Amino acid sequence: MERNKLAYFTAIENQGGVVVRETPKFDLDLYIQNYKGRTRWERLYHIGRTSVPLCVDALKAAVQEAKSGSDVMRYKYAVDSLRQVAPDEPEALLDQDWIDTKNKEIRNTTEHLQAELQGYKNNLIKESIRMGHEDLGKHYEAIGDLETAMDSYWKMRPDVSSADQLADIGKLLIRIAIERHDWKTVSNHLSKHVNAANDSDPKAKALRTYSKIANGIASLGQERYREAAFSFVWASADVPPSVYDKIASPNDVAIYGGLLALATMDRNELQTNLLDNDSFREFLQREPHIRRAITQFVNGRYAACIEILESYRPDYLLDIYLQKHVHKLYADIRTKSIVQYLKPFSCVRLETMQKAFNGPGPSIEDELFMMIREGKLNARIDSINKSILPISVDSRQKMQSATLERFGNYEKQALDRIRRMNIIAADLEVKGTGKTAAMNPIQGGMAVDDSAAVA
Amino acid sequence: MDPRLAALQAFPPADGVDDNNYYKESQEHVKRVREIIKKDTQWIRESAGDILKHVNPAVYSLSYVMVLECLLQAPGWNTQQAHETLASYMAEFLLQFDARQIRCKGSIWSDVLKAAYDDRGLFPASVAAEVVTAALLRLDPSGSVLTSHHCHIVELAYNTGNVEAVLPLIEKPIIYMPAKGMSTSQPVSDMSLPPPAYINLDTELTYALTSSMVLQYDFISGLCFIERRRWQQAFDALERCVTYPARDGGCSKIMTEAYNKWILVGLLLTGQPPTLPDTTSQAAKKIFAIQGKPYKLLAQAFQSNTAADLIREFEVINSEHLQNEANVELAKLVLAHYQRWQIINMRNIYTTISLEKIRERTQSAETGQPLSTVEAVDQLVQSMIVDGSLQGEIARPTDGSPAFLAFLSAPAQGMSEVEFSAKMNKVAQGIMALQPVIEATNKRLASNREYINHTIRRQFDAAREQKLGMQSVGGGFEESSFHIEEEEDLMSGLPAH
Repeated sequence: MERNKLAYFTAIENQGGVVVRETPKFDLDLYIQNYKGRTRWERLYHIGRTSVPLCVDALKAAVQEAKSGSDVMRYKYAVDSLRQVAPDEPEALLDQDWIDTKNKEIRNTTEHLQAELQGYKNNLIKESIRMGHEDLGKHYEAIGDLETAMDSYWKMRPDVSSADQLADIGKLLIRIAIERHDWKTVSNHLSKHVNAANDSDPKAKALRTYSKIANGIASLGQERYREAAFSFVWASADVPPSVYDKIASPNDVAIYGGLLALATMDRNELQTNLLDNDSFREFLQREPHIRRAITQFVNGRYAACIEILESYRPDYLLDIYLQKHVHKLYADIRTKSIVQYLKPFSCVRLETMQKAFNGPGPSIEDELFMMIREGKLNARIDSINKSILPISVDSRQKMQSATLERFGNYEKQALDRIRRMNIIAADLEVKGTGKTAAMNPIQGGMAVDDSAAVA
Repeated sequence: MDPRLAALQAFPPADGVDDNNYYKESQEHVKRVREIIKKDTQWIRESAGDILKHVNPAVYSLSYVMVLECLLQAPGWNTQQAHETLASYMAEFLLQFDARQIRCKGSIWSDVLKAAYDDRGLFPASVAAEVVTAALLRLDPSGSVLTSHHCHIVELAYNTGNVEAVLPLIEKPIIYMPAKGMSTSQPVSDMSLPPPAYINLDTELTYALTSSMVLQYDFISGLCFIERRRWQQAFDALERCVTYPARDGGCSKIMTEAYNKWILVGLLLTGQPPTLPDTTSQAAKKIFAIQGKPYKLLAQAFQSNTAADLIREFEVINSEHLQNEANVELAKLVLAHYQRWQIINMRNIYTTISLEKIRERTQSAETGQPLSTVEAVDQLVQSMIVDGSLQGEIARPTDGSPAFLAFLSAPAQGMSEVEFSAKMNKVAQGIMALQPVIEATNKRLASNREYINHTIRRQFDAAREQKLGMQSVGGGFEESSFHIEEEEDLMSGLPAH
């Protein structure tokens, strides 16, 4: 690795950031073409700060992307990063003229839009006021002042005259909340503003898909993986990507949905909700390796599934939303695969398992040890004969022991209750001083008649 | 025969006398003996040996206890010889008396029993503990009523290191507390009466108790069981303190001390932090959360996979709390048991595991390191198998490969229908055996003002609900879980009658 790159990525690693050294399988230009709006810069900059092989290209593209917009800060960030990695690149030089011109332009546009809005307000034309706020919001969003942009979008609400307009406001607010990774706000706006009951109407269908994808991203951010999986899986492939390309691409839907489903659904659910789902199959066509991984899992070829996923790990680590969850999702899929693998057997040799699940982690025995200890796998390891013995749940035995335990506790509880009643009936309870106890539980609540301590 | 001796032998009457007459005669006999004692005190004190030769304590218990009372009140029993003589009379009586006669005049028996353990020092503490325990169980073999004598003797036994002697007493489950107004219309000589009907403040077989005495009894019982390493019983006794009924936000110091020990004992018993039962009062919960926090943190660290957390928490708690609360030894034992529980929990993961792997996978909380040699692991595992805490065996292959631990597995199949039904029958009998206890409690509560108010309120509510067409809310012991609110409803869960 070059000296500049090494210093740059060492600093990122020291700050707890993720650094991916492997070359990803995707093409950066093709990848970024799938998106529109501010998410393009965000993704390029993220890749530039994460991927060693793509770093320079991604940061150069990020500089260009920033320069084609109005967000001066983004431009400065991108140039600053590129300067650290490749100081000799022409894009690494800060274009102060552009900055000055842009700042002046932004000032003028802000003043103009504010004056325009004021004019609308004076004329009391509701529709114009709403549009004035929207223009101002979009302007603030473009220059990176997300807080003020959200305020402006929010101010559109009193002047809406149709459900469609309300949904549009919701989409604007959701877009900003997603950019800020404010997942709870995304969920709030989804429930408040974006409701599409009628699937036959193409507009409603588009809105529904947008809502599913946004909800999927928000649920993923909050680690509600199963809910996120179902959101992505039920997005409609008929809806053109332009509806949601400012937050995700159809490829993302396939990857997020596929991975989350693999981590949270059983084989039957995968078959029904993914492979037999015509709409999601169309998404999967864009990412055939995810479809293969799912098929392998459903067919019980877990090792092959894991192998496919492992080969794409570097790609997923470069995704802005997925990166944080890749490790956990992969671990969950691996755990689930091991559990499913063991299901039909009464005894499996550790050597066989080692071959089947030879991952980058610790030895299979250590992995099984951890899984059993954490309650993820119900089995016992025969460490001497080097085998693992899955334990099947005997419902009858479980019922018997539960019944006996319950009745045993019943007797104990009944005696304890009678004893307590007798204590109370004999006026032998510990008495406090009443209300003060709630305010000062230590002093106010202590009884005074039994200060004797027994050592 | 001396007529006075004949008078002492005039009670009990011959068989066939009913309970009422038996009781009446006993009271008349007490009067007669009192007169003799009043008139011939000197004769009794001087010829006590001769007199008591004719008064068998197992047969003429009432006369015997009255003579003993007279002797105890006499001056001049301070000489060594006289002291020993009186002690032998008392021991003879307390080990043999007829409980039916004693019920008829409890106050004298209580005074005599008290003399056996109070600071007069008639008996050495070890003998006192044994004799008083025997006497209390003779009076009430079920041991279900707590008396003031229980509290004093258990404290004496614990403080003097004679725990063994009181074990038969503290092993009995206490259900009833003595109170006034507990007597029934039936005479106390009726042997079918439940214990609380004859051991109460009216019969004077016990002195009055306070809440701190009851708490202290359970607390010291817990300490006794801790000393004997009987963790389940210690845990139960301390839990009784922790969940002791309280009102108006009350919580006593003993309860918080018990809570701290309860956590430590819980760790030793189950290897996991115990959970507070639902019956714990809200005020106590709040106070435990603050004052017992260091112990709670220690318990959480006990579940950690490495010993470092536990050692760190131990050091924190040791410098601030353990010494003052006399928990140093118990906490050290918890540290010592950390590795043992790690090994026991291996049964949930392995069927067989080499001793070397046990060494690698477990740590001693005393050193913070794995054991230094496989031999040390061997020794530890062996000791655990011997004391019954570990169900397994160490296999030593003859081919020279390393020794390993094989866990004994539970039976693969569940019980047969016959076995299950037999066990269920046994449990059901245990529950049915509660019936007399419930009846006794009901009878006892029938005279309780609060209970009557509660019952009336319940009936009124039920009638109102019926009127409104609502289904009456079910009550009774069939409800599987009990919930105690801040102000505990005294009678919740009892069937209306």
